[in-house]
Amino acid sequence: MIRPDAPVLLEIRDLTARVEDQPILKGVSLTIRAGEIHAVMGRNGSGKSTLSKVLAGHPAYTVTGGSVHYRGEDLLGLEPELRARAGLFLGFQYPVEIPGVSNLEFLRVATNARRAGKGEEELDTFAFEDLVRERLLVVQMDPAFLERSVNEGFSGGEKKRNEILQMALLEPLVAVLDETDSGLDIDALRIVAGGVNHLAGPDNATLLITHYQRLLDVITPDYVHVMAAGRILRTGGKELALELEERGYDWVDAELAALERTPAEVG
Amino acid sequence: MVAASLSTPTAAAGAAPGGWIAALLAEASGGADALAASRERAAQALAQTPLPSRRDEAWRFTDLAPLTALTPTLLSPAAAAQPPVADGSLRLVLDGQSDPLAGITLPAGLEPISGDELDATLGQVLAATGSAALWPVLLNGATARAVLALRVRGTVATTLELVSDAGDGEGILPLRLLLVLEPGASVEVLQVHRSSGANLTSLVLEARLGEGAELRHGLLAPGAETGCLLATVAVEQATGSRYSGVSAHGGWALGRLEPRLVQREGAAHSALKALQLADGRQISDTHSQMVFAGPDGRLEQLHKAVADGQGRSVFNGAVQVPRLAQRTDAAQLSRNLLLSDRARIDTKPELEIVADDVRCAHGATVSRLQQDELFYLQSRGIAADQAARLLLRGFCEEVLQALPAAAVAWQPLVSLLGKEGR
Amino acid sequence: MASSATVGDLVSQPYKYGFVTDIETEKIAKGLSEDVVRLISAKKNEPPFLLDFRLRSFRQWLQMEEPDWATLGHPPIDYQEIIYYAAPKQQEKKASLDEVDPKLLETFEKLGIPLSEQKRLSNVAVDAVFDSVSIATTYREKLAEHGVIFCSISEAVKDHADLIEKYLGTVVPGNDNYFAALNSAVFSDGSFVFIPKGVACPMELSTYFRINSGDTGQFERTLIVAEEGASVSYLEGCTAPMFDTNQLHAAVVELVALDDASIKYSTVQNWYAGDENGKGGIYNFVTKRGQCRGDRSYISWTQVETGSAITWKYPSCVLQGADSVGEFYSVALTNNRQQADTGTKMIHVGPRTRSTIVSKGISAGHSSNSYRGLVQLGPKAVGARNYSQCDSMLIGDQAAANTYPYIRSQQPDASIEHEASTCRISADQLFYLQSRGIAFEEAVSMMVSGFCRDVFNQLPMEFAAEADKLLALKLEGSVG
Repeated sequence: MIRPDAPVLLEIRDLTARVEDQPILKGVSLTIRAGEIHAVMGRNGSGKSTLSKVLAGHPAYTVTGGSVHYRGEDLLGLEPELRARAGLFLGFQYPVEIPGVSNLEFLRVATNARRAGKGEEELDTFAFEDLVRERLLVVQMDPAFLERSVNEGFSGGEKKRNEILQMALLEPLVAVLDETDSGLDIDALRIVAGGVNHLAGPDNATLLITHYQRLLDVITPDYVHVMAAGRILRTGGKELALELEERGYDWVDAELAALERTPAEVG
Repeated sequence: MVAASLSTPTAAAGAAPGGWIAALLAEASGGADALAASRERAAQALAQTPLPSRRDEAWRFTDLAPLTALTPTLLSPAAAAQPPVADGSLRLVLDGQSDPLAGITLPAGLEPISGDELDATLGQVLAATGSAALWPVLLNGATARAVLALRVRGTVATTLELVSDAGDGEGILPLRLLLVLEPGASVEVLQVHRSSGANLTSLVLEARLGEGAELRHGLLAPGAETGCLLATVAVEQATGSRYSGVSAHGGWALGRLEPRLVQREGAAHSALKALQLADGRQISDTHSQMVFAGPDGRLEQLHKAVADGQGRSVFNGAVQVPRLAQRTDAAQLSRNLLLSDRARIDTKPELEIVADDVRCAHGATVSRLQQDELFYLQSRGIAADQAARLLLRGFCEEVLQALPAAAVAWQPLVSLLGKEGR
Repeated sequence: MASSATVGDLVSQPYKYGFVTDIETEKIAKGLSEDVVRLISAKKNEPPFLLDFRLRSFRQWLQMEEPDWATLGHPPIDYQEIIYYAAPKQQEKKASLDEVDPKLLETFEKLGIPLSEQKRLSNVAVDAVFDSVSIATTYREKLAEHGVIFCSISEAVKDHADLIEKYLGTVVPGNDNYFAALNSAVFSDGSFVFIPKGVACPMELSTYFRINSGDTGQFERTLIVAEEGASVSYLEGCTAPMFDTNQLHAAVVELVALDDASIKYSTVQNWYAGDENGKGGIYNFVTKRGQCRGDRSYISWTQVETGSAITWKYPSCVLQGADSVGEFYSVALTNNRQQADTGTKMIHVGPRTRSTIVSKGISAGHSSNSYRGLVQLGPKAVGARNYSQCDSMLIGDQAAANTYPYIRSQQPDASIEHEASTCRISADQLFYLQSRGIAFEEAVSMMVSGFCRDVFNQLPMEFAAEADKLLALKLEGSVG
C-alpha cells in the first residue's frame, strides 16, 4: 500500500559496507514508508543478503560509509538487540541451530525484550503461552516445536516457519526477510507467505529479499528493486519482477557494464 | 584417586630385564653397515632407558613379560612360503639383513634413497612425531641392520607389498622403513608381517608426505601365540596431503601398534581404521597419537577391538589440538567386542584441546554381540554359534575390506580369526 | 558494530564472597607431626579408636607421595607451613543459636545462609562450618523426631560413637590416597547424617563450609549413612575469603547406602579461585566416594564446580549391591588461571548395576579443565550398563579442555557407551539471539545454561538458583 504521506520507517542513504577486506555494498539508497512492501531482487553475490545483515547489525560486516535511519534515528550505532527491540526484524536465510536452548524460552525472552522496547509489560509464563499458541496458528505450526531446542533438527521449512512465528510474536515495524522462500516446497511457501501477508499492515513495512518471482506471486510488492554488484540498479513496480522473470538477469550485466564506465552517475 | 587405584604397581616384567637388554645389545653391536652409527647411539640410549613398566601411563595395561621371555638374539628368518603376487603389486621381502631391492626393477616413480640423503632424512619423522625416544623405537634403532628407504614421485600405479615372516626361529627381527612422498605423489603400500614362533618383529616405519601427497597404507599382522610385534608407524603430513592407514593385528602374545601422526601445518586429512584381536592369553594394544600442528586439519578414526578367551585389548587414542589448530575436525570412535568373561577391554580416548573453533568428538562402546542381531539370524534358522561367527566376521570386515586390494591374497580374515572365521 | 563485551569478559565476574570475618580465633601452631594429630584428637575429646585411626592414617601418609598424574601444575605444597586447626573462640558448641557469636551469624547471612529461627530457609536444615568447626546446625530437633541424625561429626563422635566407629573409613580407607590419608589424620569437623531404616528425610540437608583464616587448611570429613529403604538429599556449599596465598582444602566424603536406600549429594563449590593472574585461591583436593552397599541402592552426585585455583576431585560410586545405581552430573567452569582435573569413577561390582555420567566442562581464559573418569565393569557385573557423556565448551583460544575417559570391562554381558563432544558459542548463534532483542550477556547465559541443562536439572530446587549465581551468569528460566 503506497501512501506518499505515510511516515518513513527506514531511510538508507549511500550505504557502503565490507566483509573482511571485501567491499560488498557500494552505495545503496532506499526509502521505506509505513504500509509498503518492498522486494529486493538480484543474483547470488549481488549484495542483497549483505544488506539485510548490515541492517540487523551482524558483527562480521563493517559499514564504511553512508547512513541508515530508522524512524528518524541513527540505526547503525545500535547493538543488534536494540535494533530488534526497536522493531527491526531480520528473517534469516539460514537460521542457526542452538542446542540446549529451549525454543519456548527463547521466544518468551525475545518477546519480552521487544515488549520492553515498546514500553509494554512483560508477559508471565502463562500469558506468554497463551500468546504463543495463538500466534502458532499464523504459521500452522505444531506446538511440539516449542519444546525443542531452537531450530535444532528442524527441517528447512520448519525453520522458516519458526522465523515467521518469531515475527508474529515480535510484531516488528520493519521486517527484512532474507530469502525466506529458499528451500520451501509449495505448501510451506504458501503458509509462510500467508503469515507475512497476515502480519503486513498500514503501520509496518516489509522488505523481501529474494531471488525468484515465485514469492512475489503470493506476496505482492509495492516496489521492486534490482540489485547488482552492491548497488540498486533499477527500481520499479511489481511488473519489474515479471520483467526479470521473463528476460533473466542478463540485461542487468549489460546495464552494470555501462555503469562501470560511468561510475559518477550512480545515484 | 583414579590413578591411585588404576596403577597398582607390579614388578617390572622379566626376571632381569637389564640383563635381557644387555644381552641383546651385545648381540647387535658392531657391524659397518649404513646404520652402524645410529645403531650405536640408539644402543646407548636404550641401555640408559628403563624397561617400560606398568607404572608408565603408556604401558599401564600392557605387560612386557612375553617380550622379555624371548631369547635376546637377532633372528635370521628362513624364506617362507607366500601367496602368489597379485597383478599390479610389487612384493619386497624383508628379512632385516639382505637388500630387498636386489635384483628388483622398481616401477616408475619409485627410487631408493641412500648415502648422505638417507643419513639426513632417517629419524626426522620420528622426531617430528615425538617418537624418537619411545622404547620400541629405541629397541629397533639399537638392533636394525638394514633400512628400506624409498622416494615416491608422481602417481605410482603399482601397490608396494612389504612383507616379512619371522617364522618359527627365536630372536628379534628388526625392520626399518622410510617412505618419502614428494609433493603430489601418490602410492599404495601394503605391509604384511607374520610369525609362527617365539620371536619379536620390531617395525619402525617413517613416512613423510609432501604437499598434496597421498599414502594409502595397509598393515596386516597375524601373529603367533608366542610371538611379539612392536610396530611404530610415524607419519608427517604437509598441507593438502592424505594419509589413510588401515591396520589389523592379532594373534600375538604381545602385539602393539603405535600410529603417530602429525599434520605439520594442519590442513591435511588423516584417516585411521584399525582392527585388533586378542584371544587365548594374548595382548593386543594400539596407542595412537594425532597432533594437529596447524589449522583446518581433519581426522577420522575408527578403532575396533575384539577380546575373547583370556585375551586383553588395550586402546589409547590421543588427539592433540593446540591453539594454532583452529577449525580442526576430528572424530574418533572406539568400538569393542568383549566375547568372554575372562577377557578384558581397556579403552581410553585422550583429547587435549586448546582451540575454541574446533569440532572434536569421540565415542566408545564396549559390549558383546548384539542380542537382537543374533536373534534375527537365529530366527532365520542359523545356529547360535554360526550366527555369532557371522556377526563377528561382519564386525571385522568393516576394517579388513578397507585394506589395499592386494591384501586379499593374504586372506586377512582367516589369518586373523582362523578357519572358523569363515 | 560488534558488541564490545566478549564472552570471556562475561564469565569473569568478581568474586562476591571474598570478605574476611574479624573474629578472635584459636589456632594451634603451624606444622604437622604426630603430636599435632594427637593435639587435634585431644581438643575434641575423641575416643581411642578415633585417635588410632588418625595415627594409622598419619603414619601411612608419611610413606606416601603426592600424586602427580593429574593435568595440574602448582608449586610444591609445604605441609609444615599450614595450620591444621583453627576455631572461632567460643566455649562449647551452643545449645541455642541465640548464643552463637553474632559475627558468625552475620557472616553466614552475608553468604546467603541465614541461620536464625526467623530467617532460616524453611525446608532446608543447615550445618554451618566455620574454619575447623561446626558452629550451628538448624532443625536438629525436627529431624530427630523422624530419627534422622544431622550434626557435626565432632558431636557425632561424642553422641553416636558406635555409628562413627562402624562406618568411618569404611568407604574411603585411611590410606586410600595421599590427600585422604592427610585428611584422615587431621580432619577437624564436617557433617554426619544418619537416616534410619525406612525413613525418607523430611527436608533437604545442607552443610555450608566457610574458610576464614588465611593460613589454615580445611580438612573436613562428611559421613552420610542411609539404612535400608532410607532416602536423603544433601547439599554442600563452600566459599572462602580472597587471600593472595594458596590454601589447602583436603576433604573426605563417605556415603553408605544400604538395601533400597537413596542418597543424592549435590555440591555447589565456590571456593576462592585466585585472581586473574592465578595468585591465591584454594587448592581443592577432595576424595568423595559413595558405596552402594545394598541391593537396589542409589547414589547420585551432582556438582557445580566454579571456584578453587586447583580442583582435584572424582566423586565416585562403588556399585556393590545388585541392581544398584550410580550417577554423576557435573558442571565445571574454569577461568583465568584455574585448573580443574575432575570426573568420576563408576566401579561396577554387582550384577545389573547401572551408572550414568554427564559431565559439562566450560573453559575460559587461560584455564585448564580436564575430565578424568573411570568406568570399570568387574567380572561379576553381569548385565551392567554405563552411559557417559562428556562435553566441553571452549571460550577463547587460550583455554584447554582435556578428556580422559578410562573404560575397563571384564564382563561381556554388559554394555558401556561413551560419547564426547567439543563445542563453542559461535558468533552466528550469538547474533541470532541478539537479532531477536536478547542482550549479549543474556544470550551467552542462555547458551551456557542450555549447555549445562542436563546437570542443573539434577540440583534440588532450592539450590538451582544458587548454581545460577555461581556461574556468574544469569540463567533465568532454564533451571528448575
